[in-house]
Amino acid sequence: MPEQKIVITIDNDGGISAKTSGFKGHSCLEALDALLDLDGVVSNVTKNDEFHQQQIMPQTRTLEIKRKL
Amino acid sequence: MSAVVKTTTPFVIEEVLMLALEVAGAEPQLVTTELLGTLAQRNQIQAGDILINRSDYNGRQFFRKLGDRWSLLHDSDELSARVVSQLGDRRYTPVTRFLTNLSLTYDHAYQRHLENLAGQERVRLENERKARVEATRLQAIAKAKAQGYTIKETSNSKGQIQLVLTRMA
Repeated sequence: MPEQKIVITIDNDGGISAKTSGFKGHSCLEALDALLDLDGVVSNVTKNDEFHQQQIMPQTRTLEIKRKL
Repeated sequence: MSAVVKTTTPFVIEEVLMLALEVAGAEPQLVTTELLGTLAQRNQIQAGDILINRSDYNGRQFFRKLGDRWSLLHDSDELSARVVSQLGDRRYTPVTRFLTNLSLTYDHAYQRHLENLAGQERVRLENERKARVEATRLQAIAKAKAQGYTIKETSNSKGQIQLVLTRMA
């Protein structure tokens, strides 16, 4: 059973950035949305190569988001 | 005969005027309804006026807020002018000189007042920032717990809060 991991960093102004690993494709965004209420306040989403390999090696995907204040 | 003097520096803020009068040695006293009953003088003093230690034919001179600024009410001829001080001998200075000096003192007090306001604003913003960070942290932790994550809280090299959430898929 793969481990899902999210690292949330809260900056000194209350802004948030988060990195995920172990999620399948867009499920990482859904997981972050469930945690952080992202609707409309995400300033930046960076998907790396692993994100696009979603059905092949899900446990190595990572995704990084930054949320506006 | 009474007179009202308007100064070039408008005395607008009561707190600043009180401070300036203190510094100028005028021993300001805010008139309360209780104090009104103890005062007997020709001038009609009202609650809210600021009495000072200068006196003349009409009694104690005082400041009253007229419109948006405080003005000194006194006998225009400055008859029987004297200082009624509880702090020993103080010499009476003519109204114009008194107000000129008070204007300078008021300006200094006003600058300190502005600095205090700026300091208070900085503290308010800092408290807001801390509250925002704490609210974000608590919300993230509460939701993570509810969704079955194990939470480890650390801080990174920049002193920022880091929450490491893990769960089995």
